[in-house]
Amino acid sequence: MTDPRWVGRSYETAPFEVTERSIRDYMAAVGDTRDDGELVAPPTYAMVFGFDAYWQLWTDQEVALDTAHLVHGEQRFNFHRPVVPGDRLRTTGRITAINPRGDLELVSFELASRDQHDEPVSDATALFIIRKP
Amino acid sequence: MKASIAAQDFDAVKVGQSLPPLVKRVTVEQIRQYAEASGDRNPIHLDDVFARAAGLPGVIAHGMLTMAFANQLVTDWLGDRSMLKRLQGRFAGMVVPGDELSCSGSVASKDEASRRVVFNVAVANQRGEKVFTKGVGEAEFPPQRSDHHAA
Repeated sequence: MTDPRWVGRSYETAPFEVTERSIRDYMAAVGDTRDDGELVAPPTYAMVFGFDAYWQLWTDQEVALDTAHLVHGEQRFNFHRPVVPGDRLRTTGRITAINPRGDLELVSFELASRDQHDEPVSDATALFIIRKP
Repeated sequence: MKASIAAQDFDAVKVGQSLPPLVKRVTVEQIRQYAEASGDRNPIHLDDVFARAAGLPGVIAHGMLTMAFANQLVTDWLGDRSMLKRLQGRFAGMVVPGDELSCSGSVASKDEASRRVVFNVAVANQRGEKVFTKGVGEAEFPPQRSDHHAA
């Protein structure tokens, strides 16, 4: 059982430099390669530039989530503006809930990403489910 | 920011109409490629032995790969990735290599004032088991173009 005292702990990514290469690699990986002319990242690319916040949560030795038994339960994104090459994005993630539910444990994580002008780019909420071994 | 090139005319969007379905076959190679592109190299996605030790049938796809398919279902129809304002859903089942996923969606509502359209989205595997449920997307259409100059 994860200690509920970690609710409120937050993590911040280093600035993520969005490149054409990074967007195209993502598009190729998910098979969403339609050419719209000007390159705009698929909205779910938010998982790429925000990923380090999730990684910091999963590898936080003090919080010690049981990541071998962790699955992604739900995800919600709000997209404030499209992401394009040249963007420099920072993401902050915060643990907002740690709750037992039967044989499971639910961990909520809220993220906010901002650009080089400190303007909001996207927000997300992830719900992780940890199966008790 | 570029002018929007929406493939759909807001006025023609009808509540209840279906989006063209999208079918995706998931492979070990695609999961590896997604791990590289996203940075998520959790071994449950890459290492069969590790995955089985964690109680899984073998490697499983990232939930976010399935959500990317739901994203594409909507943005392919919109014809413009920059119009999507919200996407959410629940990862209801595991996706494993070899699965063929069918993404479906329909228009749930539209609001004339905000020019926003809400979609229901779902993804099921080849056995009809739902792997992505309670999916909701929301798009904002560009302002109506007018050929008349306001006084």
